Amino acid sequence: MELTKTLGRRMLGAACAAAIAAPLAVATPAIAQSYPSADETLDWTIAFGPGGGNDIMARSIIEILNKYDLYDGEISAENRAGGSGAVGWGYLYGQDGNAYGISTTSGSFVTTPLQADTPWQPESFTPVALLATDDLVLVVNGDSEIDTIDEFIANAKANPTNIGGTGSVNVDFIVPTLFAEKAGFEFDYVSFNSMSEQTTALLSNALDAMVGNPGEILGLIESGDLKPLVFSGQTTPAALEGVPTMGSIGFDIGVSMPRGLILAPNAPAEAQEWWINTMKEVVQTPEWGEYISSNTLTPTVLYGEDFRQFLVNTKNGFEVVLREVGAID
Amino acid sequence: MDIFADLMMGLSVAISPINILYLLIGAIVGMIVGVIPGFGPSAGLAILLPVTFGMDPIGAIMMLAAIYYGAMYGGTITSILLNTPGESATVASTFDGFPLAKNGRAGPALVMQAAASFVGGTVGVILITILAPLFSQVSRSFGPPEYFLLAVMGMLTLLVMIGSNWKLGVISALIGFALGTVGVDLETGQGRYTFGSAELIGGIYFIPIAIGLFGLGELFYAFYNGLHKTGTGGIVQYDNEERFWPTAQDWLSTRMTMVRGSVLGFVVGVIPGAGATIASLMAYSTERSLSKNSENFGKGEMAGLVAPETANNAASSGAMIPLLTLGIPGSASTAVLLAAFIMWGLRPGPLFMEQNPEFAWGLIASMYLGNMALLAISIFAIPLFVQIIKVPYRMLAPCIVVVCALGTFSVHASFVETYLMFAAGIVGFFMRLYGFSPAALVLALVLGPLAEEALRQTMTISRGSFSIFVERTPSLWIIGVTLTLIVLLPMLNRFGKPKVDQPAKADG
Repeated sequence: MELTKTLGRRMLGAACAAAIAAPLAVATPAIAQSYPSADETLDWTIAFGPGGGNDIMARSIIEILNKYDLYDGEISAENRAGGSGAVGWGYLYGQDGNAYGISTTSGSFVTTPLQADTPWQPESFTPVALLATDDLVLVVNGDSEIDTIDEFIANAKANPTNIGGTGSVNVDFIVPTLFAEKAGFEFDYVSFNSMSEQTTALLSNALDAMVGNPGEILGLIESGDLKPLVFSGQTTPAALEGVPTMGSIGFDIGVSMPRGLILAPNAPAEAQEWWINTMKEVVQTPEWGEYISSNTLTPTVLYGEDFRQFLVNTKNGFEVVLREVGAID
Repeated sequence: MDIFADLMMGLSVAISPINILYLLIGAIVGMIVGVIPGFGPSAGLAILLPVTFGMDPIGAIMMLAAIYYGAMYGGTITSILLNTPGESATVASTFDGFPLAKNGRAGPALVMQAAASFVGGTVGVILITILAPLFSQVSRSFGPPEYFLLAVMGMLTLLVMIGSNWKLGVISALIGFALGTVGVDLETGQGRYTFGSAELIGGIYFIPIAIGLFGLGELFYAFYNGLHKTGTGGIVQYDNEERFWPTAQDWLSTRMTMVRGSVLGFVVGVIPGAGATIASLMAYSTERSLSKNSENFGKGEMAGLVAPETANNAASSGAMIPLLTLGIPGSASTAVLLAAFIMWGLRPGPLFMEQNPEFAWGLIASMYLGNMALLAISIFAIPLFVQIIKVPYRMLAPCIVVVCALGTFSVHASFVETYLMFAAGIVGFFMRLYGFSPAALVLALVLGPLAEEALRQTMTISRGSFSIFVERTPSLWIIGVTLTLIVLLPMLNRFGKPKVDQPAKADG
């Protein structure tokens, strides 16, 4: 909840959650036995190819469900990649009312509908839980004279500065833009196609700084080739100990990429309730802790309607920034 | 020798029976994913990745790496036999590979490609073994200005590929550049010619275009010539079993090509993002410029097949350098390998080889073994593959259509891309009929977006000043090499050619 700081938004979220949760609480006991049925196969859509962040998350959850016998029936996980997630989530969107269609979300879940005419929006689906957020770390070259975020901001106010990131209609662009607005400096954003291109650009001293997922550059941070200055999440992961968060220096931006779980639109309430309760158990397992730490995610848990509200807030926040810069119209 | 001790230690890790088994499985799977058009190593790796969850990481990485470089061996087979590149890095191998097969030299072409792959792969591993730290400096000195200059250097290749009819060649290249503008603009995030389609956000991928232009285009052209009516004739001639092995002339004339292709391929492979495809195209054009028989290129010149083959295999080894020494993947395939490293709890980065010597050196040692295994598998498999071209054309043709369609679909499971492939097939037929250059189109489609993005990144960084290109040492090096090539190559050609041409003229 701390991610969405505005009081008004919080109240709205809570009101929505209460409105939906009340009938749920009544309905659950009667049908709880029937879901999930062991005869039905759970159709788990992974909207990206194998090996990516979304895929690893889905398979980690499935492994935990199997290990602790949390799900009785068969689980069939399928990679339905294409169109930055449009294909996979479009497939789930088509299963309106189905209790056995499920999928994991990532950043594109918010950005793809902003970019293309998808029939669905992030809030169209039945939300189960936000489990973690992907946050970014701002780094400079290890040889840089800049050692702290204060020095970086002071330097950026005095000299033209550029910051690299992957893509333009996504969190890599939005995080530094919001941060710079709050901290009062200007910069040129340089967008790259992949993390590897932007990392070499920074190592070759073409860039002044870049943002990236800590998990992908921890090796370079550990060896001193890259210097971490500030982290966009609410709490700094263990591997980045000593690095301040944007919030701790007074420039909280309240935006991050959701890693969560959704069901098909209008899925039965007992299915949503069952998954919420089950995910409460999943996040307690040591395996889940290991997944969070090895992928340097920030554990941020929101259930049901709170998650839907989080998605709406994130989408609106993105839309404002992207419209300001003319990336979308 | 430290390196030697490390390598021996790695070999002792790699050589356990179970690891050898994994290595062989990887090599065979790699060959197979290479053979299927469009279905490249990154797709093959990604599919097998979940299988490795519970495996010992060393065996698993040996298997995955073997898939990666094994695909470079298999990818050429369909380039030679069907004019359909098995994967992107073997597009250049169709230029002379297919004409060779058409001229009745399919056997020698396949043997030479296996040998060239082996040389390229092995030279690549040797260079990793002895020069990894040095080359890691190369991969970390490349920023946007250098990528732009590299793309410009690659465009020199276009001049070579445009061929004799420069007007048609230029039009072909312009079509390629135009197709390259489709997709979300990287800098502003605005869609260009995407018509709101989610499938076109990522732009037009060149694999469906290449498969359509080369594979289907060739097929339609063969129909046009009535090849399907000739009773038993295959798409290419193959009647003389004695000519299975390459001649001494083939080996002798390409020995320097192998050396040049290996070194060039490795260096380009070391640069993240450049990769085996660009390496093979550059090797082809370099070889063509240097050759005394440059007019034979495109008509079945052995050096024109050997150059891209050594280069793409050496490049796939080179791409392991930024992965192992910096934790930066240089290509889609190495990005999957990186994901695997992280999944197994390893932390790739500059300290990786120091902290995990068994893993890193086990992998390097396994690459020597893997390349040997692949050479053997290739040579044994050639007689099998040669059977393909003995199948009557009227039976083979529908199979090629199916393979092209399935191969394209399997890349991103995209119907839009499959339709594009068929459209490219029709366009390819007309290009072939009227003498346009499909190769120039594909190359422009690869290099255009690369050059555009790199130039715009450079201009943002330099705030609009072009002086950034001469302020950075690596940039100056590339400019120097490019200018040398422009000035030197035509001169070399002028000196080289008369010796060959004059006797011919005397005859006339």
